[in-house]
Formats: sequence, C-alpha cells, structure tokens
Amino acid sequence: MIEPPIILALAMVFGAVGIWLLLPRGTGRGRAAGAAFALAALGAWASLVPGLGDWLSNSLFGVLAAVTLLAAGAMIASRSPIYSAIWFGMTLVGTAGLFLLTGAEFLAVATLVVYAGAILVTFLFVLMLSQPEGHTSYDRRSWGAVLAAATGALLIGVLSMTLTAVLRGPATAAAAQQNGESAAYYPLAQLGSELFTRYVIPVEVAATLLLAALVGAAVIIGPGRTHPEP
Amino acid sequence: MTADIATLHSYLAVAAVLVGIGLVGFLSRRNMIVMFLSAETMLQGVSLSLVAWGRFHNDLGGQMLVLFIIALAAAEAAIALALVVTMFVRSGKLDIAAWQDLREADQPPFEEAEFPPEPSDEPTAWPHLAPAGIEPGSSDEKEKYRPAV
Repeated sequence: MIEPPIILALAMVFGAVGIWLLLPRGTGRGRAAGAAFALAALGAWASLVPGLGDWLSNSLFGVLAAVTLLAAGAMIASRSPIYSAIWFGMTLVGTAGLFLLTGAEFLAVATLVVYAGAILVTFLFVLMLSQPEGHTSYDRRSWGAVLAAATGALLIGVLSMTLTAVLRGPATAAAAQQNGESAAYYPLAQLGSELFTRYVIPVEVAATLLLAALVGAAVIIGPGRTHPEP
Repeated sequence: MTADIATLHSYLAVAAVLVGIGLVGFLSRRNMIVMFLSAETMLQGVSLSLVAWGRFHNDLGGQMLVLFIIALAAAEAAIALALVVTMFVRSGKLDIAAWQDLREADQPPFEEAEFPPEPSDEPTAWPHLAPAGIEPGSSDEKEKYRPAV
C-alpha cells in the first residue's frame, strides 16, 4: 500500500506532464500521451477522495464529476477556440447536473439558461465575428505552458491536502453533529421568499450593477462622439 | 454524519480541480476568449463549493451567493466582451500578446518562436481523371425553355 502523500505527489507530477503535453505547443505530437497522463493523474487523485471510492452508490456523482472535469480539461487543451467554447458548455452541463444532485434545482436551471443560453452564446457570437477561420498561430502555441501546468497541479494538490486536513478535523465533525442528520431540502418557494425578504437589498444592488454594466458596455464599444462640441 | 462529510469532500475536490484547470487555462492560453472562458470555469468551481457548503450547513446562503455570482458573471461577460471587441478592432487579432507593451518595465518582451506551419488536410496532388463519355447535346426544346427557368 502506497502512502497517500506519495500517490498525491505522483498524481500532481502526472497531471502537470499531461496538461503540458495537452497544451498547444506547435506540434500535434504527444497529445494522446498527454491525455493518457492526465487520465492516470485523475484516476490516482480520485482514488484518494473518500466518497469517490464507492462507485455504485455514487455513480451519478462520479459520471457528472467526470463529465465536468474532462470537459474542462478539453476546453483548455483544444486548439480551436470554438471547440473550447463548446467544451465549456459541456462543463456547464456537468456543473448544472451537480447542482441538481445537491438539491439546488433553481441554480441548475439558472446556470443552463443564463450561462449556456446567454453568456456562452455571446462568447460564440464574438468569436465568430472576429475569428471565423480555424487555428491561428496564437491558438496553436500557448505561453508559459510548463509553468502554468506546474502551477495548476500544485494548486490542486495543495487544495486537496488542505481539504483532507480540514474535513477530517474535529471542527468539521462538530459542525456535522450540529447540523443534524439529514440534509434539508429547500423547496423553490422558500428560496424565492428568502430572496425577496432577507436578500432584497443585494437584489437591488445586483440590478443596479447589471444596469451599470449594460451602460458601460455600450459606452466602451460605442463609436464615441462623432460631432465635436461647439 | 460521516457520509455528509464525505459528500462535502467530493464536491469540494471537484470544485478545487475546476479552479485549478481554469487557472492553467487563464495563465497559458493566449486567445482572449479562451482566457475568459477559463475565468468562468474558475467561477463555476467556486459556485460548486458554495453550494456544497450550503448543503452541508443546511443553509440557503450558499445558493443565494451563487445566484448573485451568476448575475455578476453576466455583468462581467458584458464588460469583458465589449473590451475584447474593442481590443480586436485595434489590433486585428484576439492574441493577448499583441498587448504586451503593457507589461512591467523590467520584463523581457515575448517573442513568437518560429514553428512549422500546420499540415493541411488537402492532398498534395489531385488524381487525374481521363475524360470519358460524350458531351451532352442541347435540344431545341431545352433552349426554348432555358431563359424562362
């Protein structure tokens, strides 16, 4: 039995190498090896997460998490930005499924409608307006790929270690005791009434912010003052 | 009880990997649109962790915060896309390296390395077909109707 920190370190190294191989480097060589490395890293890392080990009871969560993470990896690895955007849509679908699994069904629908339906389509719109042709030189060669992959793998490793350390601590167990046996299910009506009673000021602030962003975008992209002031 | 902690751990782990992948994409990719997609991926990871914590603590605050994150992301996307379009109009491409004049004073400039062009899918030589058969003739009836079609 290998010690968990060694497995985590191996997963980090494999993940860094895999992501570096997957990032566009000017040649298409080694991308399959990179995918294999990244998958091996993901598997080694997933074996450390409790709750991922019991695949039968958590198969839905496993499938959704795998869809989310693989689509996110493919998003940063694909050379064509159009494919990146579509893989990002797949990530959104996976995240919405995870939201649904947590009991946050309104957020799942809002993610699909607002993110995939509005934001992603706007991104695709700009992309097709400005870069209709395929791979450009700056899409085929990323900068700082080694450092970026190492940084990402290090961040994921440190976060995973911190999670394990914190969640196995006594404070979390005490909080779980205090929170009660079952995770409460909130009906949608309660979310709505809470939103417009307790959180009514933030709603107004968010509305103002959206209006300001709208006006700001129009000012940024507008033609400016064509006629000089007299 | 421990099952709840395990669920929380799984969700937080997925969220951590999403944030890490988004960070790698934001640092390494040079297309501005892909950079913003990576930033949105990081936001997704944070949203996932907030929802998981909200469920763990039996509190609606996590979901509320994610709701506001979605609204904020819409505002951010509007401003960011306006900036991207403006920068594209000025520089003619979506490359963030076109704006490297804005770097720190002591940083060396990024120089595009030469690399071979992408191999194209088209074959280098098309097959040559020998002409065969007869040329289809034209009848008077066809000529009569042709201008009307």
